[in-house]
Amino acid sequence: MSNSVISVISRFLEEYSSSTPNKLKVVDAYLLYILLTGALQFLYCLLVGTFPFNSFLSGFISCVGSFILAVCLRIQINPQNKGEFLSISPERAFADFLFAHTVLHLVVMNFIG
Amino acid sequence: RRLLGWFLLSLALAGAQGLTPAHHLSLPDVARLQSLLSQQFTDLESAYYSVLGLTKLGAAVSDHKQVCRFIKSQLDPTSIDSVFFAAEASQAISGCEIPVSNETRDILLAAVSEDSTMTQIHRAVSALSSLGLPVASQEVVGALTARINKEDNVMAITSALQTAARLSKQAELGGILEEIEDLTARLDDLGGIYLQFEEGLEATAMFVTAAYSLSDHVDMEPPLKEDQVIQLVNSIFSKKSWDSLAEAFSVASAAAALSNNRFHVPVFVSAQGPATVSHSQPTLQLLVTDVMSQPLASANVLVESAYAVASKSIILNQAPFTLNDGVFELNFMSKQPASGYYQFTIAVTGDSRLVANHVELKVKVSTEVAVANMDLSVVDKDQSIGTKTTRVDYPSKAKSSFTADSHQNFAMSFQLVDVNTGVELTPHQTFVRLHNQKTGQEVVFVAEPDSKNLYKFELDTAERKSEFDSISGTYSLYLIVGDATLENPILWNVADVVLKFVDEEAPATIQAKTLYVPKPEIQHLFREPEKKPPTVVSNTFTALVMSPFLLLLILWFKLGANISNFSFSPSTILFHVGHAAMLGLMYVYWTHLNMFQTLKYLAIIGGVTFLAGNRMLAQKAVKRYVS
Repeated sequence: MSNSVISVISRFLEEYSSSTPNKLKVVDAYLLYILLTGALQFLYCLLVGTFPFNSFLSGFISCVGSFILAVCLRIQINPQNKGEFLSISPERAFADFLFAHTVLHLVVMNFIG
Repeated sequence: RRLLGWFLLSLALAGAQGLTPAHHLSLPDVARLQSLLSQQFTDLESAYYSVLGLTKLGAAVSDHKQVCRFIKSQLDPTSIDSVFFAAEASQAISGCEIPVSNETRDILLAAVSEDSTMTQIHRAVSALSSLGLPVASQEVVGALTARINKEDNVMAITSALQTAARLSKQAELGGILEEIEDLTARLDDLGGIYLQFEEGLEATAMFVTAAYSLSDHVDMEPPLKEDQVIQLVNSIFSKKSWDSLAEAFSVASAAAALSNNRFHVPVFVSAQGPATVSHSQPTLQLLVTDVMSQPLASANVLVESAYAVASKSIILNQAPFTLNDGVFELNFMSKQPASGYYQFTIAVTGDSRLVANHVELKVKVSTEVAVANMDLSVVDKDQSIGTKTTRVDYPSKAKSSFTADSHQNFAMSFQLVDVNTGVELTPHQTFVRLHNQKTGQEVVFVAEPDSKNLYKFELDTAERKSEFDSISGTYSLYLIVGDATLENPILWNVADVVLKFVDEEAPATIQAKTLYVPKPEIQHLFREPEKKPPTVVSNTFTALVMSPFLLLLILWFKLGANISNFSFSPSTILFHVGHAAMLGLMYVYWTHLNMFQTLKYLAIIGGVTFLAGNRMLAQKAVKRYVS
């Protein structure tokens, strides 16, 4: 059983590194970074405690929000999805990404205390 | 069909419970008003107010000859005001004729034009009328109507009404009569109780005077509803001391108008003394007067219905009062009412002009109470030894004292009866008070009646020891009976009771119950700040959380992400600068600013960044399409 799991994973990794364009890999690296940051914040909260709760929430929501926005960006700039996003060019997607981030950071900074 | 009749009558009665006057001029008020108006007058205007005011109140003006001389000496025949005051005042006292020259008459007639003020027209016309000179009524109406349009204030229109009342009945007074309704609409309703002009008491009182004066003159009922009339009465007569002669005069005029006009005469019904009847005072006496406390002798007063407040049973129906020396009397005790409160609905009839002639009155029937069958006994708790009951008669005291220790209960039973009817009573206050003469302690209990109205009181010595602080000794026992409907409250030292408590834990001296001394101070505990984790831990985790960024940079380097495509066009530079500025603003927001300031700066920087970024991305897109 574990054999098949390992082979699936290695096959997946191979496919990924070969067929994914570089641009998307850059975004994927960013996604991984956000994920780790969020996970570590959560770990701190579990281990040490929720004080100050508003700061934890703001940091965590920031990670979650950034992750979601980056995923949206990735979907929109993926050339394989071009058919779905005819009216949205990659530049437009990036601009949306920046604007949404501005709003997110405004809220996060307000809440961080 | 009879049922329907009763139903409609009860509906009518229910609707008829309108407002009743809260204020009127009582006899002392009238006297005060009179004395204010009787002051020595210094000029014609004050003479006018005094003489006419007193006449309206029905009081005599002293020394008519002297007044007449004064008026004649002060008269200035060229001034309309002067002639007006003199003419009106002289009319009110007998045997005083003011000589009028042709010049004066011409001045007065010339004032009747739409170029004179309303006051001038009013005074001129009134003077002409009082002096018996002819007045061209239709011309006056024309002048008044024109002036009403120019002078729209309350006092002016009131003067117009007054003027119209002096004109011939053949003239077209309808237009001016309508002004009464317009003015009524301008009155301010305060809480449904008062109705007055914001211009004040004088304006309101003069309006009432003028409205009834004109209405009587043309014999048309003024458009004032009953409740409005009562509200006006409340407004005018609530003030009991008056600032000026003019104000006093206006109140006197209004009082006269409201007690004697053809349409609305408000009635004031009050009990003479407290509204209480008892065996010694069996008649209910009512004063039924007009707003000036003049008795309405021609009225018929009857009780439409009276019911007991407690049981709601009707005790009187359509019972008439008899007039006895200016006071309306009814012998209520003859119906043998039980003691308590009764709600009377009284109607004053006999004159269709009467307003607020249905009044509700709460009447109290008091009686005297007697204590009967007072039995005292000491009962053993296990009931093995028979009880010995001692009968005590009011107001004597029991000859021997009673002893009760922790094995016994002290018991008391008695009845409270109405002296006159023998009916059992349950007064509001029935207390048993035990007073320790040595220590000054006092403990009060409530005696409760059972279903047969027999009062019982039991003192369980063991159970009640805390009230007594377990102090044994001789206690005087008092019975206290009181109620609003009892004329003879009772405080009766019935007996002495020796109480023996187990374990005398009490202190030697009794502390008076410290109810009103300062209490111990409460120290406020401020909210403790939450425990923070040690700095080492937070620092460690800060570093830990920052570490994925390092990983990101490494990954990006490995992927070959670079900025080799960086074009140094102005929009690109501006965009990056702007973007950096926005991130910097976020930091400053966190440390210094509030949301409003941040949004302001964000709008500026963001706007610039957006435009630059738009440009930059467009350029990139073009480049992409071309390649």
